Amino acid sequence: MSDLLDAGREKHNNSNYILEASGIDFTYSNGYKVFENVNIQLIENTFAAIIGPSGIGKSTLLRILGGFLKPDAGSVYLKGKKIQKPTSDIILIHQSIVTFPWMTAIENVMMPLKVKKVPNEIAEEKAMKYLELVGLQGFENLYPKEMSGGMRQRVAIARALAAEPTVFLMDEPFAHLDELTAEGLRQDIYNILFSPETPLKVVVLVSHNLTEVVELADQIFVLNNIPATVVANVSVTIPRPRNPRTDEFNQMLDNLYIHLTPPRVKTR
Amino acid sequence: MNIFLIMILAIFATTGRVFFLIFLSIITGWFLSYASVKSKLFEEIYIPLTEIFESVPVISFFPIVLMIFVINIGGIMGIELAVDFLVFTAVVWNIWMGEYQAFKTVPNEMVEVSENLNMGILQKLRYVYIPFSIPRVAANLFPSVSDGYFYIAVSEVFTVGTTQYHAFGIGSLLVEFYSKNEMNYVFYALLFQAIIVGTVIILLRKYSKYAVAKYTLDTDAPIIRRGRINVRTTTRIISTIAKNPVSRLAGYYRQRSSYRVKKEEFEKEERRFKIGKYTGYSAGIIILILILYAVVRLIISIKFNTWHELISVTPEILLYMAFDYLRVLIILFFSVIIAIFVGYYIAMHRIAEAIFVPVIQIFSSFPPPLYFPIIFGISYPFVYHYFGELYTDLYVLFLGFISTFYYVFYSYWIGIKALPSEYFDIMKNLNMGLLSKLKNIIIPGTFPYLIAGITSTINSAWGGLMIGEYWPYIVGNKSLEVSNGLMKFIDINTVNGNIAYAAWASLLLAIVVAIYSILFTKKLMDLAKKKYVAEEGIFAT
Repeated sequence: MSDLLDAGREKHNNSNYILEASGIDFTYSNGYKVFENVNIQLIENTFAAIIGPSGIGKSTLLRILGGFLKPDAGSVYLKGKKIQKPTSDIILIHQSIVTFPWMTAIENVMMPLKVKKVPNEIAEEKAMKYLELVGLQGFENLYPKEMSGGMRQRVAIARALAAEPTVFLMDEPFAHLDELTAEGLRQDIYNILFSPETPLKVVVLVSHNLTEVVELADQIFVLNNIPATVVANVSVTIPRPRNPRTDEFNQMLDNLYIHLTPPRVKTR
Repeated sequence: MNIFLIMILAIFATTGRVFFLIFLSIITGWFLSYASVKSKLFEEIYIPLTEIFESVPVISFFPIVLMIFVINIGGIMGIELAVDFLVFTAVVWNIWMGEYQAFKTVPNEMVEVSENLNMGILQKLRYVYIPFSIPRVAANLFPSVSDGYFYIAVSEVFTVGTTQYHAFGIGSLLVEFYSKNEMNYVFYALLFQAIIVGTVIILLRKYSKYAVAKYTLDTDAPIIRRGRINVRTTTRIISTIAKNPVSRLAGYYRQRSSYRVKKEEFEKEERRFKIGKYTGYSAGIIILILILYAVVRLIISIKFNTWHELISVTPEILLYMAFDYLRVLIILFFSVIIAIFVGYYIAMHRIAEAIFVPVIQIFSSFPPPLYFPIIFGISYPFVYHYFGELYTDLYVLFLGFISTFYYVFYSYWIGIKALPSEYFDIMKNLNMGLLSKLKNIIIPGTFPYLIAGITSTINSAWGGLMIGEYWPYIVGNKSLEVSNGLMKFIDINTVNGNIAYAAWASLLLAIVVAIYSILFTKKLMDLAKKKYVAEEGIFAT
């Protein structure tokens, strides 16, 4: 475990939760209180999703989970250890697809390994493995600008996997892709992320797209109200692969709409 | 007249001169940039020439200016024009280039709207091109003001042969105070100057913020850098037009249905386009003819014997140039190292940034020739004690450094500020160390800015060398004079009235700088534009 985790503030080493956010309060610098007592617990091999009306603070919550923002109250724990600042055990994948234009695909993927001082040959071997995993074998020497949006997002995912994290935080990862590409990547993503080749234990996805969320997630946290709190924690038990045309799928969508449709009101 | 009133008037005269010339640069730049975006030929002459002039140190113009204005025109007008021309050459290029780049990257949608509304040239300038260029102009005001003040100080007083020429301003007043050893007035003049420069910088910062808030497009379009076309927007528009059958059909339908009505307007627009095109061609050809005429006239006017002398002195000049390039390299090395580490620290720490950025900005606008004699006077005994005869070179390098380090510093700092925030998240996420961040992300991501800053630093280092390599009676009887240096050679020959030698040395330097610019700077800039544009790493529709 990374030394960035505060070993002195262990909560419960025997916890079953891989990622846990407990009693999170957060206020923007302009005084607007975004969250009050937000609680999230995720066990191993969970693909979780966070949904909520636009502007509710989904991306902000993701940043708090990653240690990029410090909550005013409450804490985030990774395997029972408090997160004090960003760590390569929890990797954030941005809404805008981020690659480094001065590096080829393989160089992009090798970067986290080089930071960890992995010898060049091993880093290259591992980077190739992750590029293959995301379906980019044969494209390793292309620069990002020579790739489509979907391919670039695969590079970003491979780079994130190369950091060998425990948790992935994905902020609307398909938002900037056309529908066909997004659908292709959605179909692959679950298998990629939970393949035995990766050390990933938990994925947290933020999305506006309810169909996407139901298609991918095991557990859905619905944020609503002002300040926002978790108004529903829905488990999705539909067997995979999930077909959006089934009644079960549509019922789940309706259920989520019920939690989202009441107007956002101040709770106090 | 009261001496303090004279000081204040002199500062206003100098400031007025700087601002008038900046204003002139902005106005002329708008028309030249418009001509460039409308005429390919004009653009192909104007841009390389501007780039070369921008790369050539302002002192290269010095002997030429002296000849044309002081000797040919003469009188107060000749002196004033000589000073104005020197300052103009210091402030104009980056403003012209900034405006050209802004005009070149006006979104196609905006241009189409202006064409749709049948706007004339002046209307297009007023409603589309000029507003779009305002943030660029605002950004370029900072270096232009710094350069303007810097050269005012050395150009308000100059000597040719036994004659010293003065133009009224704070630069010439300070020289007078120094010569009479009236140090208390020197301090007051510097204090007033600091207040004015500080106020100007604060007002410019306010204006810059206002300009960015009002005139910057509120889109997700990437920041467009020097000479880089907005590839994403362009390809998006092209692909939409080319691939979307509905828009194709719509285009076809519009053309068919409105053909009769629009025909007249179309012809009018075509006539207007042709007029613009021919005007651009004519302007381009006239400029070429003028340059050729000046070159031929100059070559013919110089006697054979003089040519012989100039060629025989050339190896000596080249040797001096090598010495100066070494000095420039040393100045550059320290400037870049300091910029990379201090610039990164300041960009990353809000409080340090809030304190140091305005301080450095005011410092950079404060011309070193005005305060350097004081530093020299105070530190000379210690420096001489510890370094002996090496002191001259140390002072010259220091003067070059304080005249120029902030270019690369600012450029790099702005580059860091312009890096996508996602990159900083990734650096935090991967727990990257300082050197790893600099090597993998910060330096490559700011590479275009670094190259631009390094170019400006090199050019301005020449200005510092020009002042420092030969500075007679800098304090009391003490003079600052290096043993070997091209700038000293030019200075001494200018003072002795040997304009041919000075002009020849300047010309050789200009040629070397232009070659260096084309072979080195331009290639690095092209590489930076091709590979190291950080915004291209962010894909967002």
